[in-house]
Amino acid sequence: MKSVRKKELRTIRVQKNALGTNEEIALKNKTIFGKAFVVNLLSSPGSGKTSLLEAVIPVLKDAGLKMAVIEGDVDTDLDKKRIDALGVPAYQIVTNGTCHLDARMVNNSLGRLDIKNADVIFIENVGNLVCPTSFNLGEDIKAVVLSVTEGDDKPLKYPAAFYKSRVLIINKTDLLPFLKADLERIIKNALSVNKDLKIFETSCYGIPKDSPAGSACDKGMLGFAGFIKESVRSKTARLQGAFLNKGLGI
Amino acid sequence: MHEFSVAIGIIDTLRENGYLDGVSRVAKIKINLGKYSGIDKNYLSFAFQNVDDKRFNGAEIDFVLNDGDEITIKEIYVD
Repeated sequence: MKSVRKKELRTIRVQKNALGTNEEIALKNKTIFGKAFVVNLLSSPGSGKTSLLEAVIPVLKDAGLKMAVIEGDVDTDLDKKRIDALGVPAYQIVTNGTCHLDARMVNNSLGRLDIKNADVIFIENVGNLVCPTSFNLGEDIKAVVLSVTEGDDKPLKYPAAFYKSRVLIINKTDLLPFLKADLERIIKNALSVNKDLKIFETSCYGIPKDSPAGSACDKGMLGFAGFIKESVRSKTARLQGAFLNKGLGI
Repeated sequence: MHEFSVAIGIIDTLRENGYLDGVSRVAKIKINLGKYSGIDKNYLSFAFQNVDDKRFNGAEIDFVLNDGDEITIKEIYVD
């Protein structure tokens, strides 16, 4: 009986990305994002993604950049409220249990958030170091945040987030004196998964020892802000170049 | 635990590209799975046994493991 059924099977060659539908929506998002440089922030819960935004947004604002933030959480709009307090447009996606954002959720949010003048859009994903890595949202880069309290072995234990990210932010470095976790080992482990990671060491609270005079931020935070500024510049230049190449002129 | 979402994504991708037209049962799916895909293959196999589209409930998932981060549907074997 079984062999008879087997003979009836047809083989269909597919050769398609398993998340093709998500990819198509992500591509639409990319078009809607336009000139804005979009960062998909990934991390475990409690690594300091929102605190990082609270620290870096004022620096980018001072540099004249316009921003918007999409917050993803399983429940509550607590994060959105923290971003509202900075005077930056924010939209809260409540996933009601889903452990990650996907392109459709972001697409649905785009009609309800003022992004038309934004130079930078931060998408703060649901706190989870595994699931969000599979879903492209249409972002320019993924940035993974790892707090030192999570331990120096995490890049090896959760490699996908580090493999797919362009940037690693090592946060809560002010706590290093109290921990067994070793900064050099975090960096070594992360680079063993992805040698091209751009790494910034940050702390959002306390007075960082190496903060330049007159700044509430440490060197790492200012470095991250500088990276964002440079990325906005190069995306604009790239888009203008593509526009000119089309022969449309400006 | 996002494997259920990935299973739904695979079914959507197959359906929207017409691969399921006239198909009464999917017996096997061959998937290339990258080491950095973030997917647990046992959970993904389990997810297919529980999706609403009954044609997938008996599907055997054949994984071809490789480097990188891809999740690619290579072939499906159907009735």
